Amino acid sequence: MEHTVKIEPEGIVVSLSGDVDLQSSPEVRKILLETVEHKRPVIIDLSGVGYIDSSGIASLVEALQRSRKNGIDLVLASISDAALRVLQLARLDKVFRVYPTLGDALAGFR
Amino acid sequence: MDEQEGHTDAISMTPASDTTFDPVELLATMGRDFADSRDIDKTLRLALVRITDYLRAESGALFLLDDSSKTLTCTACTGATDIEGLVLASNQGIVGRCVQTNRGELVRDVELDADFFRGVDRRTGFTTRSIICAPMSVRAERIGAIELVNKKGKDFRFSTSDLRLLETMSSSAALAILNAHLAEALLEQERVRRELELAAEIQRSLLPEAQDETFPIHGINIPAGAISGDFYDYFTLPDGRIYFNLGDVSGKGMNAALLMAKTSSIFRCLGKATPRPGRLLARINTEIHETATRGMFVTMVGGIYDPASGEVVLANAGHQPPVLQGEDGQFTSFEAETPPLGIQPFTRADGDIPEVKLNLDGGTLYVFSDGITEGYRPDGTMLHVEGLLDMLRDSADLPAAKRLTAVTDLLAGGGRPLRDDVTLLAIDDRLNANARSNTARSNTSRLKAEAKPDAPTTEAQNADTADYSLLAVLTVPARADRLRLIRHAVSMATIDCGLSETAAGDLILAVDEACQNIIRHAYGGDTSEKIVATVSREGDNIVVLLRDFAPTVDTERIRPRDLSNLRPGGLGTHFIRECLDDVRFLPSPPGGGNLLRLEKKIR
Repeated sequence: MEHTVKIEPEGIVVSLSGDVDLQSSPEVRKILLETVEHKRPVIIDLSGVGYIDSSGIASLVEALQRSRKNGIDLVLASISDAALRVLQLARLDKVFRVYPTLGDALAGFR
Repeated sequence: MDEQEGHTDAISMTPASDTTFDPVELLATMGRDFADSRDIDKTLRLALVRITDYLRAESGALFLLDDSSKTLTCTACTGATDIEGLVLASNQGIVGRCVQTNRGELVRDVELDADFFRGVDRRTGFTTRSIICAPMSVRAERIGAIELVNKKGKDFRFSTSDLRLLETMSSSAALAILNAHLAEALLEQERVRRELELAAEIQRSLLPEAQDETFPIHGINIPAGAISGDFYDYFTLPDGRIYFNLGDVSGKGMNAALLMAKTSSIFRCLGKATPRPGRLLARINTEIHETATRGMFVTMVGGIYDPASGEVVLANAGHQPPVLQGEDGQFTSFEAETPPLGIQPFTRADGDIPEVKLNLDGGTLYVFSDGITEGYRPDGTMLHVEGLLDMLRDSADLPAAKRLTAVTDLLAGGGRPLRDDVTLLAIDDRLNANARSNTARSNTSRLKAEAKPDAPTTEAQNADTADYSLLAVLTVPARADRLRLIRHAVSMATIDCGLSETAAGDLILAVDEACQNIIRHAYGGDTSEKIVATVSREGDNIVVLLRDFAPTVDTERIRPRDLSNLRPGGLGTHFIRECLDDVRFLPSPPGGGNLLRLEKKIR
């Protein structure tokens, strides 16, 4: 699993790639919880994530809850079919705001 | 002054010129007052005023004995002193003597009477000179006394005829008081009856709603009195199996009904989280034993019926043996091996009570209370188990609900009151067995078409006889960093099986989550202990067996999370169930550990 964090005018973009599983989700959780502390919208770009499991979903949920508490937006962008399927299995696809592409997500914060 | 006002009020209630009253007329007036009275206290006060005035006494007091006959309380008074509320020992003073002997007292000069109680005069400042006192009693029941003090006039002395009159009047007052008590008791009875009706209504609402004929479970409960000590219940678990129970609380009446309500509530509440009847009954036992009144207990049969297989898991705590009427008409009964609930803690090592597994195979399981077997037929003979079985044999062709009412109609039919609460429950597998055999037939015929001509086709479910091929066996240490390897192995092993992309993704997710459970829960974290994954194709299914070597897992603790509240964690088990067509623990293999079987249809 790899990640990059970029500060854009519209918000903080966290790009994840690789498998988010039991091995990598602790790191993902740490990154996401850090980014929601900066009073800026957070966009999680999942275009490189082909596999996510329950522990990865749990990290996303925890970050979302923290962002709501901090009064900032947290959205998902460019999610793969496989990852979306897992989000749907968890009945969380309506809980997250999901944009088809990173560009759409950024446009949403202009 | 209060007593002055009280006096004035009292006087205003009396007709003028009482003294001209004929004593008979006074009695008649008092009788009418009592007959019309809705407020016995007010009427007694009025009567006391009439008597005191008529006999020209300076003051009068009415004393009532308390329930234990230990004290006398002044409940009404009129005239010169206010002693209302005064409490005397029931043998104190002249009034006490009068009540004890149940005879009228005429004391012309209190100074000469040793029993005279001076405490009242000391408190009121009044000087008592002469007293007449008459007991109020009806037959043997003593109620109190009426006491008059100081005849108006120069020597204050009462006469014997005054006492006779007072005795007559106090008898009349005594009768009125007794009637009032009886009326109160009647009201109380009516109130209790209404409360019983309400209790019965609540109790009926604790029974499950009757279902239509397609539902396999039907029950009936007829209380012998207003309320029942019996109960039954059933509810469907999320996996489609149906929990049922029938219980009988020792004793009758309100205490039995309350314990019934408690027990059935615990059953329903704990049952949803305890899909093991033996464990559930043991837990109920603990609850009741901790809190129930000593000496009360509950006999209960609890079970789970699986409509998909016809299998019933049964636990019986001290109840009459349930009876299975097989499809062939033969009866089999299932004895209790455990004492009733609420008597003692169970001592088995795992704390559970033994379970019996049986398959209804198209038959019907009957559970019933002793009110059925000890009930009377219209001809006065007891039904007994044999009689019940005869009836069930005769009515076998009727729908289950009608079979039950046939029995209860017979017991309630003879015009004699039911001896005991009558409760009967039927778990009828007939419709589900038909549905199962239809499905099996279509499966079999499909397999026939696909299978080689010489392959056995009757046991489509059996892996040994179905089309089986081993795809992969992988042994890895139970560590988070090995999960990716397992995912790839499953993915590669099944690549040619024709799974859709989503189905393959679901299978891989489920295997991954199951392995996570092994790592995190069975082994308690990363370890060099092994996970063995076996991937195979069985007919139209991909089957993954996951073997670990950890202590045996309590499967009840592995359950999907409640998705209605948004909360991280607890999702893995939910994914496993959602993604697969079947998942189950197989019996612990030789050498210990757990063996989990995951099945995904290829379609």
